[in-house]
Amino acid sequence: MQDNQFMKETVYEAALNFKRGKLDRRSFLVLCGLAGVATAAVSVGDAHAAADQIVLWNWGGSSEQCHGAAIGEPFTAATGIPLKFDTSGPLQGKIKEMVNSGNVTADICDADAFDAIALGDAGFLTPIDYGVVSKDKVLKGFAWEFGVSVIFYGYAFMYDTEAFGDAPPADWKDFFDTAKFPGKRSLYKWANGAIEGALLADGVSKDDLYPCDVPRALEKIKSIKDDSLYWGSGSEAHDMIVNGEVALGMVWQNRGKAIEEDTNGRYKLVMNEAIAMPGAYIVLRDNPAGAEAAMKFIATAQSVKAQLGLLDCLGMTPSNPEAFPDIPANMLDYAITSSKNIDKVVFNDPKWWAEHGGDTVNEYLDAIS
Amino acid sequence: MRAFRRINPYWLLVLPFLAIVVVLYLGPIANILWLSVTEPRPGLGNYQKLFESDSLARILWTTLRVCVLTTIFSVIFGYILAYVVIHAIGSQSRWMLKLILISFWISVLVRTFAWLMLLGHNGVVNNALLSIGLISEPVPFMRNEIGVLIGMVQYMIPYAVLPLLTNMQGLDQRVMNASRSLGASNAQTFWRVYFPLTKPGIVAACLLVFILSLGFYVTPAILGGGKVLMIAEYVSVQLLVTLRWGLAAMLATLLLVGVLVLLFIMNRFMKLSTIYGGAGR
Repeated sequence: MQDNQFMKETVYEAALNFKRGKLDRRSFLVLCGLAGVATAAVSVGDAHAAADQIVLWNWGGSSEQCHGAAIGEPFTAATGIPLKFDTSGPLQGKIKEMVNSGNVTADICDADAFDAIALGDAGFLTPIDYGVVSKDKVLKGFAWEFGVSVIFYGYAFMYDTEAFGDAPPADWKDFFDTAKFPGKRSLYKWANGAIEGALLADGVSKDDLYPCDVPRALEKIKSIKDDSLYWGSGSEAHDMIVNGEVALGMVWQNRGKAIEEDTNGRYKLVMNEAIAMPGAYIVLRDNPAGAEAAMKFIATAQSVKAQLGLLDCLGMTPSNPEAFPDIPANMLDYAITSSKNIDKVVFNDPKWWAEHGGDTVNEYLDAIS
Repeated sequence: MRAFRRINPYWLLVLPFLAIVVVLYLGPIANILWLSVTEPRPGLGNYQKLFESDSLARILWTTLRVCVLTTIFSVIFGYILAYVVIHAIGSQSRWMLKLILISFWISVLVRTFAWLMLLGHNGVVNNALLSIGLISEPVPFMRNEIGVLIGMVQYMIPYAVLPLLTNMQGLDQRVMNASRSLGASNAQTFWRVYFPLTKPGIVAACLLVFILSLGFYVTPAILGGGKVLMIAEYVSVQLLVTLRWGLAAMLATLLLVGVLVLLFIMNRFMKLSTIYGGAGR
């Protein structure tokens, strides 16, 4: 009996390895023969169905707990497949390296839409199966071949109410106006959001934002360079404001509520002209759990309940229009797609960023350093 | 048979480790060299950028400036510290050494954030100065090049102290006594006898600190407020964000070659093996 159990497990492991491409076909069949398993019984098809877990590659912090509660629990309840995490942050370079190495250890990445387009075109991703994932459960225009927007986040700014309480800054023009609103500012270190903010401040209309006039944006950004600091992570942006280092600070909008609470309301979030970023779920090429399980996972994340769960836990805004009316009253000021904000924000164009992101980041780094 | 005898059998003991080094260390380095001339297209395009791009030149200049300043300050402070440790009485000397080692073992991330808490906008020092009325608004110690230098020098001091300490410990005290008995003043004894004898230690400390500083990433990224862009951070951005792997590989190669050239030049002036404690006689 013991031996039987052992052989069964061995073959099961071998099947998984075979499916992942770690074990060649011949060795797999030899193992099956040794174990006395009729090879037909452990066909490739069975191996494919044997997804033992889904690994979501995200950015750590509370996202592990939040993704687990909002998406992982209903997904596991429905499919029996547990959710695991890799919290090291799926940057484009890491994804490219992982897929190139042939040792793919994650299934789905919590990435940006421009990653989905850039990496998808370069052949690193599995196309989204819109038979399983629903295009109707995404705001129109935010479902692509190699990725689908599950949440929105955004680049908004916060201001010091003690300094500017009487005539608060209302848009990016005010953010860049150091004469009217003196004090330090903080911007994102890797160009996103800052380029758009600068162009809006320089008088470009929302509709003419893309393709971005990068030299014009950089001129504007350089004009406030002496008054600027630059942050590389959400917690750094958070600290710069909470420590009073800046009078006006660009932030990821999902942190706005927490910062207002941490500063006892001294700093206030401005959502007008916030740059709405579609966060995309992407599936790696040759992912270990197989495409089917990954698509089911994404479909689970699209449900209204999961979407509202992510909003409550992470401040990430729903992308499924069915969830928009259910955004709770206390989140209306902070959520990108709430009735209060959806017409005020500017939606990022991931196609432009996928194509020009690399050059823009380097030019931006050159301008700020 | 004769040829075989010439090989010292002890090499066989080292062979497995040598093989590991070649496979796990030289292999990837060769791969980086290869990337730097093949990505995005074969040729020397990445190296050409060095001469064409002002921004690369600026990043290299920032890196060089910060590293040289860090080396100078770390070695000066390290020299003073090592001198004091050597000449303090027994138990005090041990305590000083312990404190230096403890700071040596604390992670760079922890130390970087500690500096933010101490010298940041809302930090202990600024708050204290504000409350006693010495300043009317916080002094910007951090989020600029000064902040990066403070953080890096503090991190590097133990690296400067340790080689200097070894060097100073090995000096024959009788030489200094002889100098004094021949009528030299304290200052003369120090500058004309003691200091020249510690030169190998100073060179070792400078080399160690400078080479380690070249690859600094965390401290400039956090304490520089995004404005002090050094080569290590730039390489990381090219690898992870902009996917310019060829450019990143070129810069990594440049760093590696720079370090090797530095070691070579130093070796011309003094035997490196003596610096690092080997028998040089």
